[in-house]
Amino acid sequence: MPSQTTSTISFSSLVPWLIAALVLCVMPFIFTGGGSITIMNQIGITIVLAMSYNMLLGQGGMLSFGHAVYMGLGGFVAVHVMNIVENQEIWLPLPLLPLVGGLVGLGFATIIGSFSTRKAGTVFAMISLGIGELIAACCIIITVFFGGEEGISGDRTMAPPTFGVEFITQKEVYFLIAFWVLISTFLMYLFTQTPVGKMANAVRDNPERAEFVGYSMRWVRYVSFCAAGFFAGIAGALFAINFEILTEQNLNLGASFTVLLATYIGGVGFFLGPIVGAILFTLLQTVIGLQTDLWALYTGVVFILMVMFMPAGLTGLFAMHIIPWQLGRIGMLIKPYSKIFIPGTIFIVGAVCLTELINHVRHHGDEEFMTLFWVEFNTRSIVPWGVFIIFTAVGFWFSRALAVEVKEAWGNATFVEGVRR
Amino acid sequence: MVAEALKLDNVTKSFSGTEIIRGLNLGINENERHAVIGPNGAGKSTAYNLITGRYEVTSGKIFLKGQDITNLQPYEVKRKGLSRSFQITNIFPKMSVFENVRCSLLWAMDYKYSFWHLVGKQKALNESAEKIIEDLNLKERRDTLAGVLSYAEQRALEIGITIAGGSEVILLDEPTAGMSVSETEYIVGLIRKVTEGKTLVVVEHDMGVVFDLADRISVLVYGEIIATGTPIEVKENKAVQEAYLGAALEEEH
Amino acid sequence: MDLIIINLIDGLIYGLLLFMLSSGLTLIFSMMGVLNLSHAAFYMLGAYFAYQISTITGFWVGLIVAPLIVTVLGAGVERYGLRRVHQYGHVPELIFTFGLFFVIEELVQYVWGRNMVPYNSPESLNFIALNLAGGTIPAYKIFMLLVSVAIFVTLYYVLARTRIGMIIQAALSYPKTVEALGHNVPLVFMGVFGVGTGLAGLAGVIAGPSLTTFPGMAFLLGSIVFVCVVVGGLGSLTGAFVASLLIGWLQTFAASYNIGAGDILLAMGYEYPKDVYYHPWRDLWTLTLPQIGPILPYLLLVLVLVFRPHGLFGKRES
Repeated sequence: MPSQTTSTISFSSLVPWLIAALVLCVMPFIFTGGGSITIMNQIGITIVLAMSYNMLLGQGGMLSFGHAVYMGLGGFVAVHVMNIVENQEIWLPLPLLPLVGGLVGLGFATIIGSFSTRKAGTVFAMISLGIGELIAACCIIITVFFGGEEGISGDRTMAPPTFGVEFITQKEVYFLIAFWVLISTFLMYLFTQTPVGKMANAVRDNPERAEFVGYSMRWVRYVSFCAAGFFAGIAGALFAINFEILTEQNLNLGASFTVLLATYIGGVGFFLGPIVGAILFTLLQTVIGLQTDLWALYTGVVFILMVMFMPAGLTGLFAMHIIPWQLGRIGMLIKPYSKIFIPGTIFIVGAVCLTELINHVRHHGDEEFMTLFWVEFNTRSIVPWGVFIIFTAVGFWFSRALAVEVKEAWGNATFVEGVRR
Repeated sequence: MVAEALKLDNVTKSFSGTEIIRGLNLGINENERHAVIGPNGAGKSTAYNLITGRYEVTSGKIFLKGQDITNLQPYEVKRKGLSRSFQITNIFPKMSVFENVRCSLLWAMDYKYSFWHLVGKQKALNESAEKIIEDLNLKERRDTLAGVLSYAEQRALEIGITIAGGSEVILLDEPTAGMSVSETEYIVGLIRKVTEGKTLVVVEHDMGVVFDLADRISVLVYGEIIATGTPIEVKENKAVQEAYLGAALEEEH
Repeated sequence: MDLIIINLIDGLIYGLLLFMLSSGLTLIFSMMGVLNLSHAAFYMLGAYFAYQISTITGFWVGLIVAPLIVTVLGAGVERYGLRRVHQYGHVPELIFTFGLFFVIEELVQYVWGRNMVPYNSPESLNFIALNLAGGTIPAYKIFMLLVSVAIFVTLYYVLARTRIGMIIQAALSYPKTVEALGHNVPLVFMGVFGVGTGLAGLAGVIAGPSLTTFPGMAFLLGSIVFVCVVVGGLGSLTGAFVASLLIGWLQTFAASYNIGAGDILLAMGYEYPKDVYYHPWRDLWTLTLPQIGPILPYLLLVLVLVFRPHGLFGKRES
């Protein structure tokens, strides 16, 4: 057995976690609106799910199109357990329910992973897709467990009170979720620091060489896969607690795509990437989703553009700037960035308004007036059309012209003799 | 009788009907430095791939210290105590030099698929990794991503990954290919240092390196060993001279 | 007996339709190594474009023009999207095509709305071609059958007998060599991607009137098409053909025989529970074959991948 472990975890390495805990505790007192707590709860759930997804895609190089399955199954069982607890057939305080969800996720991942992790790449992706579709289809058929189209619902407040807390308000649920977000994130971080976590990176980078240093790539993938299933299950139970209902929508291909989207936008190569992605994605979803029914189109387009031009995600974009920062040349970038910001914004606003206008005319043509960015105008007049088209065209033209300048400034800011980038 | 460190017993390999390795017999003694030479396409790399489980053998047996390792998976061969390097650099490009070496140590230090140890806290593991990096002369590059190292540095790391596993039998595949004279010197010195007390098999084209390093040499031509012996014996062997001269003539045409 | 014949014909038409998509998908995969997850979205675009054109000029112009537009679009996606993502590796390529699927689906809803559009078969084909005791086969289905067969004959001829087909086949195995011989391999890639998506578009054009044209049509057929190519063995045209027909018949037959699991249980001697809707095994009692029909392909997919990861006709990886 390996020997000689040095002292236990040092205090300094715990500092970021203590800060995170503090921030989580303070948040509901800063953003006090009922709506904001609901959003924060959703963010927390998405964080756990996106991070568990990144254990596969970012850490292990496994592209899954069916990760929502493990969250959904964990959630469905959690709702059933909630109902059993309500009937007082078993005794289980609500804060422990995520553990049940986690074990369910782990259980299914153990079974499915035993054959799906044999290959990585396209074969793994296709199996995950097939399993996802299979279970989503079963959702409709097996009504006893999945409740058919309507799904199943429960009541979290009927569990035995935990230290007098019955989890009636959103705020109480917030603290439960925050606790599990912190624990899960911490555990997932520790996982990356274990032998199998390190080997997951090695297998992602070069599976063949990993075999020649003594590890079976299949087993390394399998362990990561099971761990990811466990944390996805926790996210599922948190979802069940927060929303008290689960349907087929929570584990179908669309749900899995959402996870991929959030994780990718945040940045798959970084531990913090999925957290950034989850926060941003949920905020955009709830804020923009209320404003327009074209929200899915916008996210999809942004996603495609990111895959094409920013494969490292937002965290990667941020990390890119460490080099000019270290060279003390970050100032060289401020001017070109602020210069391109103005036409860039004009272009985006113009394009969005034009898209919305066309949508309005096509699908709500009978309503003459529409409101965009707090301005009401007549869609039949030529003025809005002209303005939006000019905004889009001019913004695009100037952005393109200035992009050259940004590129040049970037080259200068990162240039070091003899180093290729 | 002491079992040989590595023994190939009448090994053959065919690719879609064409026999590339035709009855290969090779015995490597313990603690020996053995070089395998031969013209291009003689089957040297194929032989390595058969020994380490990258390819399946068509017939014949391979023994490691008396144990049958024929057609085991690469990781099983490694666990039995045989490591190899690659002709085309084969490292973990998106991990740091230190992580590359540490990952190669994990199995040998018995961590297996552990998710309950924190690698940062394992004193012996980290010290061994640091020691190897020092041996490789890569201390200044410790935290650099392996993918951006220079070619010679990557070759050094390749050897580092190979020997880190603590295997007693080491197979090196053209460790100095494509290197300048000074880089070759550095790598040869490195090989001497890190394979001290181990059994070494090396495929190499640079005859200077071969005669410098090897205790014994085997000559592989068209999938068969035509001669084995000390450097001087091999140099004077008629068949070897013919084979090399013949190959050289063919290459000219 | 007549029902069997009708199902055989229906399944054949459905299977050939699947093959029209899976053949393009296979060609693209074996040439570029990327599984185009947005393939079915181009099928949907074909149907919608044809609908839009048919509202102006009638069905027949749409039949010709819509696939051409899809071909150009597909080539554009390869040239300006996929080629760029290619440098990041295979996983980003898969993610790109997956994202593209959702964007196209959203775009279609943006332009044509969330409901089905009235895209119908032409008047001249609105008669019953085959009348059997068990049911009928409309002339339009026979037309679908003829178009599919014509496409395959052409495809086979081009691949096996023409110079361009030989270049394509050579580029499949030795892209570097073919490029060194002076052929423009990126152009061939773009062409193959365009033609592959164009085939999907054509499938959409002829399937639209029969299977209805609505925003969910890509999703409905798309996942089945992936099942076909994976079950058949990624990169194998023969495999895609066999798997497409197999799944076509599997789904058609499952949909038309109303065998319930309850009947089987009764036959096995189990007693029908009194209050079936509160019974813990109620799903088992009420389950019917048409209900499980849609999941059969996925079941097949998982089974094949577990027991034969390289598919029925796929080449084993070395």
